[in-house]
Amino acid sequence: MKNIGNLKEFATTPDRFQGGHRLCPGCAHSIIVREVVNATEDDIVVSTATGCLEVCSSIYPYTSWDVSWLHIGFENAAAGISGAEAMYKALKRKGKLPVDKPAKFLAFGGDGGTYDIGFQSLSGAAERGHDFMYVCLDNEGYMNTGGQRSSATPVGAHTTTSPRGRISYGEKNWKKDLTMIMSHHGCPYVATAVPSKWKDLATKAAKGFDTEGPVFLNTLSPCTTEWKFDPADTIMISDLAVDSCVFPLYEIENGTKLTITYRPKNKIPVRDYLGAQGRFSHLFKKGNEHLIDAWQKHTDEYWEYLQRREEAGV
Amino acid sequence: MAEKYELKTKEVWDGNTAASHALRQAQVDVVAAYPITPSTPIVQNYSSYLADGYVDGEFVMVESEHSAMSACVGASAAGGRVATATSSQGYALMVEVLYQASGMRLPIVMTVVNRALASPLNIHGDHGDLYLGRDAGWIHLIANNPQEAYDMTLCAFKIAEDEDVRLPVTTNQDGFLVSHTAQIVEPLDDETAYKFVGDYKQKNPMLDFDHPVTYGAQTEEEWHFEHKARQHKALMDSPKVIEKVFAEFKELTGREYKLVESHNMEDAEVAIVAMGSNYETAKIAADEARKAGIKAGVVCPRSFRPFPIKEMAETLKNVKAIAALDRNCPMGTIGALHNEVAGAINAFGQNAIITGYIYGLGGRDTTVAHNLEVFKDLAMNAEAGKRVTPLQKFINLRGPELSFFKVGE
Amino acid sequence: MATPTERLENWDEFEIGAVLKSFDENGNYSRDHSKTYKVADWRVEKPVFNRDICIDCDMCWVACPDSCFIVEEVVNKRGKKQANIVGIDYDHCKGCAVCVEVCPTPIKSLLMFPEFEDNNNALANWPKKEKKDK
Repeated sequence: MKNIGNLKEFATTPDRFQGGHRLCPGCAHSIIVREVVNATEDDIVVSTATGCLEVCSSIYPYTSWDVSWLHIGFENAAAGISGAEAMYKALKRKGKLPVDKPAKFLAFGGDGGTYDIGFQSLSGAAERGHDFMYVCLDNEGYMNTGGQRSSATPVGAHTTTSPRGRISYGEKNWKKDLTMIMSHHGCPYVATAVPSKWKDLATKAAKGFDTEGPVFLNTLSPCTTEWKFDPADTIMISDLAVDSCVFPLYEIENGTKLTITYRPKNKIPVRDYLGAQGRFSHLFKKGNEHLIDAWQKHTDEYWEYLQRREEAGV
Repeated sequence: MAEKYELKTKEVWDGNTAASHALRQAQVDVVAAYPITPSTPIVQNYSSYLADGYVDGEFVMVESEHSAMSACVGASAAGGRVATATSSQGYALMVEVLYQASGMRLPIVMTVVNRALASPLNIHGDHGDLYLGRDAGWIHLIANNPQEAYDMTLCAFKIAEDEDVRLPVTTNQDGFLVSHTAQIVEPLDDETAYKFVGDYKQKNPMLDFDHPVTYGAQTEEEWHFEHKARQHKALMDSPKVIEKVFAEFKELTGREYKLVESHNMEDAEVAIVAMGSNYETAKIAADEARKAGIKAGVVCPRSFRPFPIKEMAETLKNVKAIAALDRNCPMGTIGALHNEVAGAINAFGQNAIITGYIYGLGGRDTTVAHNLEVFKDLAMNAEAGKRVTPLQKFINLRGPELSFFKVGE
Repeated sequence: MATPTERLENWDEFEIGAVLKSFDENGNYSRDHSKTYKVADWRVEKPVFNRDICIDCDMCWVACPDSCFIVEEVVNKRGKKQANIVGIDYDHCKGCAVCVEVCPTPIKSLLMFPEFEDNNNALANWPKKEKKDK
């Protein structure tokens, strides 16, 4: 397992995901991708679901990847990487690959490609126990196609298919708790992470690479374009998400041992997080105050739940 | 190393058993599959070979056919021999990924046991799935009996993996009529079969870590056309390799395969063109028809894609009337095989009268007698020197005659 | 998304399967690599880096979405390797200003300037530390 160390040391890592891609200025996807792929020195094969990262890093005739990379479709990043991992095992067994050189198998998908259309494929690959890490770049909607809702879109968010309107406050449902669902697949390691907490993220990625079996990393990827905030504020928004406990950072080992990996020193009100993003601006209008209260309650309850689990060691 | 499987020189195998032994003998590195009637026994047989140590590759029992083909793409791009099996609805679920596999030029082999597509649901044989994959950029080989299911599967690997082809290949056999009908099959021993298929030759493998490659890039309007055209050319050029592989196979086994198979065509005046088990039935009908004075022959394209246009026209150049039998409901036109054959003969300036027949949907029996009726229709057309029977007829359909474009209407 | 004209190829010229290779035969970035593609024209403002103020915390390196911070590996006094920031890759910087936001020095060692401002001018006019009266 790579020792992540301090940032001065981590920054000596040669990048394996490069510039010249066409992601939006200030996009969190590539920050997360770099923090993940730089967390191992082993060879990597990457599979990516259709979405912002896929499109923007592989516009023919250019690739932004220094490692082997595969995109098949929207719903099959996990199945694709499971096939590559199976081939690796087969060729190793048959003596066609060196046995002493470890390789890691990694898949990226947006929330659409992970929570929704790719869920079956991910569930199957996790259940089959392939040795791979799946990293969800959760930006809470179908941002590559102009910001439609997904099952990761939270209550009250304005998207182009759950728009705010004269009689609507936007998205009606709380987001699906995919991290817990993946933990219940029997994954030996699942965790949440955000790009601003780089060491937490890179350490979890390093741990994930080092874990044998399916690993799921759910990362919150603030989207400057569809969450409506200034590109320069990507890291700040990411910090607000964890300091308000809207997106708590934790890990679960073997489905049973939950550890909270970041506790804000001063827990900030959820309204600070919501207020920093245009997609929630209508919640601050008269008549919608109850939604901000509901958000706070929901967030506090979940934070409580995580703490109770951690205390109980389950 | 995988255990050697002792085989007799003559085995009694159904098409599924034949295909699964061919997969085993090719020492496939990764099989990713999902069971579906009537190809389930291929997957089951392969599982038992694995359980008994006859296979040392990986077998990934996925959660859907979509993931089966996706895992095949991942495995093939990684750089090794890959195969799967499916039918019908499973094939339909794979379709998106079939296009991905061929676009990435991955030499995956898929043994397809042809079955009808719902709705209404049906588990029996027709060519609905084969036709669904028609334009997917795969080579589609046709096997008409268990021996051919075995032979075509071995040949499929060699064709797909040839450096001048690098395209995925399906081998097709009729559900139940071939897949579940035991006949005598003469297999090769394991060593000879593997030697024929040969070692897998990698091309741009993802697992060559010193030379990372990107698969599945996005090509927009300034690139997509060129990529598709190049892929099409590979298919159009592939008959050369198919014929080369068939020639090697003949040398080894004495069994001869051609791009267009034919029976009694030397002096035939009328011909049925059909794919699958009905080719066998029509051969018996042709012999019967000759006893009744009709100079009947039968033709079968060995590959549905690439379609052997020139060879088809050549085989049919002396006939007066042709019936193309489609085992698929074309839903609004005459029939894909009909149109292929009509296009082929037209392209070479031949003017045989051609009619289409729809038969065998959802496993409906099509007998020697039914084929004889077709030959009688053809004889009428040949004698009249013009089409006197409907352009499209249905064989063994219950109810009043259903036909389209009757003469004089 | 337009490909530079000189990079366009005919149908019979490229690698089959739309496969792209990251490196050439010599192990250098190949012409298929986005390193050889410039996105500089996306920018209206650019970050300017002031080496004199930088403390090499490397926050800009980790937070840059476009991998634009060029680092030099050095060995520090305690014998540990560390990365020092040496500059910005202006071919691939899109001007998002995330680096400026995360820069922690009291007077930032990264600031945004108009695209056509000369870097030497920018550095000459860098904000000065206010002297506190004792």
